[in-house]
Amino acid sequence: MAKNTTKQAKTYYDKVHTWGRISTVTALCVLLMFPMAICLYLGVFPPFEKVFQGLLKVIPLYWSVAVVEVIFYTPMLGAGGAYLSFVTGNIVNLKLPCAISAMESAKVKSNTEEGEVISTIAIATSSIVTTIILAIGVLAFAPFLETFTSSALLMPAFKEVIPALFGALGAGYFVKHWKISFAPIIFMLIILVFVPTIGASTLIFPGIVASVLCAFIMYKVGFLDKKEK
Amino acid sequence: MDFKSSTALYLIAACVILFVLAQSVFFLVKAWKRGKELGIDSKKLKNSITSSALFTIPSALSVLATVIALAPALGLVVPWVRLSVIGNITYETVAATEAINAFGITTGISEAITDPEVFAGVAWVMTLGICFSLVILPFVAKPLHKKFLNAGKKKEEPETAVVADEQTEAAPETKKKKRSFAGFMDYVTPALFIGLIGAFISNSILGAGKKDVALDGAGVLSVVTLVTAVVSSIILELISKKCKLTWLEPFIMPIGMILGMVAAIICYNVLPPEIAMLEWRG
Repeated sequence: MAKNTTKQAKTYYDKVHTWGRISTVTALCVLLMFPMAICLYLGVFPPFEKVFQGLLKVIPLYWSVAVVEVIFYTPMLGAGGAYLSFVTGNIVNLKLPCAISAMESAKVKSNTEEGEVISTIAIATSSIVTTIILAIGVLAFAPFLETFTSSALLMPAFKEVIPALFGALGAGYFVKHWKISFAPIIFMLIILVFVPTIGASTLIFPGIVASVLCAFIMYKVGFLDKKEK
Repeated sequence: MDFKSSTALYLIAACVILFVLAQSVFFLVKAWKRGKELGIDSKKLKNSITSSALFTIPSALSVLATVIALAPALGLVVPWVRLSVIGNITYETVAATEAINAFGITTGISEAITDPEVFAGVAWVMTLGICFSLVILPFVAKPLHKKFLNAGKKKEEPETAVVADEQTEAAPETKKKKRSFAGFMDYVTPALFIGLIGAFISNSILGAGKKDVALDGAGVLSVVTLVTAVVSSIILELISKKCKLTWLEPFIMPIGMILGMVAAIICYNVLPPEIAMLEWRG
């Protein structure tokens, strides 16, 4: 009986990996078809060097984050949960907490098959709900978009969307990781004092290097030992 | 009609969204069936669905807020698809800004894109920049998952022996372990994101914009917006923790962002123009 269960369990995990691999590769193709379809529909192809220039600013950070995320989150999300989460995104702020919360309330461990099932159900539900809310929101908002963006009253809100978005997003990080937040921001402000035209996109790189380096030094000297986690 | 919101683009987007929905439904059905085979109570399975759906709604609204924030520059279709597939709030805004900058437009996401070539270029950068996890996942997910399952099994057996050993060993040994490189990995992702978020925040405080473009450099309005967003988010975070309002947590980010934008509107319309439009770095 026990042997039978183990065999069945292996089969289920193997099946999940097969479905996951197929769906991930399909998702990648669908994803790449989207900008291609835009180009074909609009009859334009952006110059390669411009796209490459944009990618140069994005790839070093986000491809390394992708490697770190896959290594760290795959075990936590479970097999099915990982394949779903990496396709639908918003892992740290949505899928992972959702899976952990569902496993906790169901009182199952993440390294068991019950945990795998609950985690997959939680993440699949979360993906469906997010997709539906986004679809409804977009379709409902579409008729009013032009009114919103062309309104003189609302103009400053859209002009200042970056400080609003990153201020609200940063606040969460600053509260949780305040010890490692001060030094890199002071460092970036000093750079801006001398080079005000550098722009946020270029500032990201010295900012990230300073941030990781400061965090490493603080960690090594034991400054992060107690409260920071 | 604006080319960014044509019916054809909506139809293309709908195909992508349907694929995501189909994949999620497929995994949901398979996991549900397996759960029944394992003897998990239907009530437990249903509870997982209900609690996950409720848990998701506020965060999904904050994702929707990002779609709307990107809409003035990119229209609704591209942000919609990007945030439905792999996308996340931090990445999409940065990628869109970088892509727009690469085409020589310095206003980032605050101005509408009118050139279809730039629009298509932005879609390519946003897509290619985020897709790497899907390239490596099929190769590494299975071995990683197997290692995790095996580690879990091994951990259950010698647990008591390990505890006994640890008690006899000196405390400094534990301290040394705590500061190993592996322990530092917990801080790598937050540090990366603080570096990234910090760049935009610092730029809103001291960055210079174009001399001939109003409100694109650091000034009264950008600082008021930033401070309102940060302070209101921190206050909401403290309230949710002190009063144990867990339901409030996912709303903090969108509320903070909206309050920041509202502060910009109020300042712009209430303060004298020479103060509201003041940009100290040009």
